[in-house]
Amino acid sequence: MTRKRFEPKIVAFTCNWCSYGGADLAGISRIQHPPNAKVIRLMCSGRVDPVMVIEAFKGGADGVMVTGCHPGDCHYATGNYRTQVRFDALQMAMKTMGLHPDRLKLLWASASEGQQWAEGITEMTESIRLLGPSPLKAGGAGK
Amino acid sequence: MTIADEKVDFGSMRPAETAVVVGGGVAGMQAALDIADQGYQVVLVEKTPSIGGVMAMLDKTFPTLDCSACILTPRLSQVSRHPNIKLLTYSEIKGISGEAGNFRVQVLKKARRVLEDKCSGCGDCVPHCPVQVRNEFDQNLGYRKAIYIGFPQNTPLVYTIDKDNCIKCELCVKSCQRDAIDLSMEDEQLEIPAGAIVIATGYELFDVSQYHRLGYGRFKNVINALEYERIINAAGPTGGKLMRLSDGKIPKSIGFIQCVGARDVQKGVPYCSRVCCMYGIKNAVMSKELQHDIVKNVTVYYADIRAYGKGFEEFYTMAKERFGIKFIRGRVGEVSEDSKTKNVKIWAENTETGEFLKQEHELLVLCPGILPPKGLKELADYVGLEVSVDGFIPIQYPASNPVDTAVPGVYVAGCAESAKDIPDSVAAGSAAAMRASITLAQGGEQ
Amino acid sequence: MEQVDEPRIGVFVCHCGHNIAGTIDVEQVARNAQYYPHVEYATDFMFMCSDSGQQLIKDMIHVNNLNRVVVASCSPRMHEPTFRRVVEEAGLNRYLFEQVNLREHCSWCHALEPEKATAKANDLVRMAAARAALLEPLEVKTVEVTPHTLVVGGGVTGLRAVVDIGSRGFKVTLVEKESELGGHLRYLSTMYPNNEKAEDVIDRMLIAARAIEDVELLTDSVVVDFDGHIGDFEVEIKNLKTSKTVKRTVGTVIVATGFEPFEPEGYYEYGNNPNIITLADYEKMKKNGSVLRISDGKPPKQVMFVGCVGSREEGNKGHEHCSRYCCTAMTKAASEIKDISDEVMVLYDDIRTFGRGHEEIHREARQKHVMFSKFAHTKKPKVCLKGDDIVVKWKDVLSETYCEFQPDLLILTTAMVPPPTTDEVSKMFSLTRSGDGFFNEEHIKLAPLTTHTAGIMIAGAAQAAKDATDSATQASGAAAKATSLMAQKNVEIESTVSWVDETLCSSCHTCVTACPFGAIGMLTTNDPPIAFVTEAKCKGCGTCAAACPSNAITMRHSTDEQIMTMVEAYLTPQTLKGGGEQ
Repeated sequence: MTRKRFEPKIVAFTCNWCSYGGADLAGISRIQHPPNAKVIRLMCSGRVDPVMVIEAFKGGADGVMVTGCHPGDCHYATGNYRTQVRFDALQMAMKTMGLHPDRLKLLWASASEGQQWAEGITEMTESIRLLGPSPLKAGGAGK
Repeated sequence: MTIADEKVDFGSMRPAETAVVVGGGVAGMQAALDIADQGYQVVLVEKTPSIGGVMAMLDKTFPTLDCSACILTPRLSQVSRHPNIKLLTYSEIKGISGEAGNFRVQVLKKARRVLEDKCSGCGDCVPHCPVQVRNEFDQNLGYRKAIYIGFPQNTPLVYTIDKDNCIKCELCVKSCQRDAIDLSMEDEQLEIPAGAIVIATGYELFDVSQYHRLGYGRFKNVINALEYERIINAAGPTGGKLMRLSDGKIPKSIGFIQCVGARDVQKGVPYCSRVCCMYGIKNAVMSKELQHDIVKNVTVYYADIRAYGKGFEEFYTMAKERFGIKFIRGRVGEVSEDSKTKNVKIWAENTETGEFLKQEHELLVLCPGILPPKGLKELADYVGLEVSVDGFIPIQYPASNPVDTAVPGVYVAGCAESAKDIPDSVAAGSAAAMRASITLAQGGEQ
Repeated sequence: MEQVDEPRIGVFVCHCGHNIAGTIDVEQVARNAQYYPHVEYATDFMFMCSDSGQQLIKDMIHVNNLNRVVVASCSPRMHEPTFRRVVEEAGLNRYLFEQVNLREHCSWCHALEPEKATAKANDLVRMAAARAALLEPLEVKTVEVTPHTLVVGGGVTGLRAVVDIGSRGFKVTLVEKESELGGHLRYLSTMYPNNEKAEDVIDRMLIAARAIEDVELLTDSVVVDFDGHIGDFEVEIKNLKTSKTVKRTVGTVIVATGFEPFEPEGYYEYGNNPNIITLADYEKMKKNGSVLRISDGKPPKQVMFVGCVGSREEGNKGHEHCSRYCCTAMTKAASEIKDISDEVMVLYDDIRTFGRGHEEIHREARQKHVMFSKFAHTKKPKVCLKGDDIVVKWKDVLSETYCEFQPDLLILTTAMVPPPTTDEVSKMFSLTRSGDGFFNEEHIKLAPLTTHTAGIMIAGAAQAAKDATDSATQASGAAAKATSLMAQKNVEIESTVSWVDETLCSSCHTCVTACPFGAIGMLTTNDPPIAFVTEAKCKGCGTCAAACPSNAITMRHSTDEQIMTMVEAYLTPQTLKGGGEQ
């Protein structure tokens, strides 16, 4: 690898109601944050099948985020409780896959939390930058 | 796509099912849509060649910095496409008779000299027109031809020939492949039967040159806020490049002066204009947003910052903290110009510190207050209303019936009632629509 | 449903004036897009949402025989409906459209890194094009709108809405948890700007409401259950006194649950001296006769008001907003009480008498020699109690002097905050809340009365702090929104619902428990029973599809394939010279 700074590739599965709105608000408020996360808009974080997360890592993602409404604020009442349960299970599987747990992050951000969104993305990007490229991808040497 | 009226026979419209909305700004458009969505017919009368009002001239909107065109444009096409709305642009009200349930509205449809049903808005005629005049839509900062549209989203997308400047060379006529230009076209008188009327004539800005000491009109780098909006607008005369008018340079230091023609008894404007604090802050933020490397000093001179609406206080905080806008509480006394640099020097007292300030800015923006529009008094007179001392339409019961005038069947929306921002104007537009639709549903009884 | 052939995608990249093009190289993004699989046409344009931009999309659909459209512009939360309509007008199914958010998610938040922003834009467009290739047309459904509106809250906002909808000829049911209607106006003496008696304002609307046959006013009542979708909501209303419930079917809802005045515990020794009261307390006293000191029943001679109590506090969540009504209300009260007392002093941060007639009230107060003193935004006044005396100390920033005053009545002008029921109400009606705690509107500028849940409107202080005039305006406006839906009789609904492939269902019931809306049941006529979806109840969250262990559930418009192709397009891009075949 060259000396060029490592730019992590992050997949963000984002619910339409709260966290996508939070991401919009970050933009509207011009809160600058790293461009490493690519948002895939879903109606609810509850739509995220754990298989999707695993597939994303297998495909070479350096990090995966699942973002949704705060517990209790779900547009679909209880969808994000499911998300939490699935996330906990996934977190346990991370080690089995040989991945550092920090590569998977759950972020709750409401539509009024542009700042939290930007901070969440910034933290995730920086922590994965330190971990290096995913060991699951070709040439990946990180943890 | 905006095919304006295929010849509408206005005379045959049924008053019990028709409302007239006067004014095609954001309040009038909302009123028209909300009446039309209920299945009634609406005739929307607008005196300029396009609907959109002042909002169409703005660059961004507070407190979310949404670009005005981005959110307004779909609304323009929604109005022009609505099967129940008939647009009468470039038209003025000349008289109103009758009563709730059965008004007769006299409209003068000025000759556009371009056939609305034939013009496709292609603009092929424009390069052929030899007459260049200042564009009112750009606050006279840019130029247009004698055959023109004010702005790219002009709705309906139909050109207009201004007869005062047209030299009748007929070059445009020859250039038009659709035979849409008719220089012999004459003004038309129309009578529209209507059951209810919504007044949404908007506002005009205070003429800031009345404050001689602030230097507007005397110094090139003293401009008003609407001129600033056009300068930073990508579709405006500078292509959105923030610059000063004396030399085209990007100003490193900008001052904004609030309450110019507002809260001033001596100038006959004792009231607060409600929007200026926020548009001032927004414009200050935009200068940093557009040219953050160059614009170093942005200062707002104010009396009270009235950030009262939803998200406004938070926006004000953001302007101070994230964008580093300086806020100085103090009225500016005197403005002068450096004859060499054309920079603007101001003398002001910081009333919070008692400090006497002498500051130099490369651009000074005056933020004017809001006045009732010309012609509002006549319009009120047609329906039998008297305007209030402030010049706006009076409301008898503001707490319970905020859009009802004293004349049954006549409602008011937006700034015709008093200064308002966009969301409040939109809400008032919907409210006037509700009240007007009740008049229609009840056949004028209410 | 039409059969769709081989995907032929058109990509349209918007400049949005400078908003996108100022940071992102939109021409490059459009140029690259031409080489993505199935992309037949790609271009950039100043404003895609303008009439000419919309026309361009339609023309290119016809010229290039496109059957999928990607627009890379702003947030779909704003313009997805616009562009769906455009493709529909060009003869395509509306679900064959995909939007990329280059503005909020890219140019605006990566403005200092134009190259990286452009690279991200390329990624996002490529991902969207990959998804577009897998989009399928969905049937557009309409529902009938029950001509009946539910109004929640019987304050000035709710009453105004009820009178309007009833007068217009539609049925309306108002639910108010208290025994009396009128909300906070019941506790006010007179209203600004015209000094009208608050009870006259209520009476005017109550008389009108009671005269309309189709108006049902339910006091002492709350909504205990709410279900359904636009046009057809089932509401269960419980009477708190009798515990009886009634059910109503309504087509539209207006939420007008208002505010509550902030109880300033911990502020300015409130609660520690009977002569420290809130502006709301003052109004109640005035309404009930006369304003007297609680301690000794004597009229106050030295009165002080403090503004912005619980408002405009940066960093204090729920108290960061300006409460909008209070400056004028405080100034009016100060002016009134000056008539009966010796000295009246108002401490303020800014005086925000912005509305019609408000500045005049402010001016009158000053003419009556009410004293105004500005404290610094970051340094609020201090109150200490010396025995029975109240001592207020502050720095007047205009004269740069430290001041002290001993009021015998201290009136705290407190914020408007959301009532404690707000949490419950937001869940009941699927409303989201903004930073100030009030409900979110659909769009803060152009759609302040509708919400992200179709058929549900908000109005008055439920949307944000405001006075009666602005609340009544919003009430009539929200009534117009409800009336429009009812007058149209039929409205379109989303078709993005889930679907069970019965050949794959393994009868495990996982989806039945996963669905938050009880939309999935088991078809017992089958053996073993298989899952089925009641489409009218499905809200399209997709939790069932994620939960199903047998992959039997397809979430329409958000299928596994449609999601995973985006992941793949991001991580392992395939760009082909010439586009088209893979």
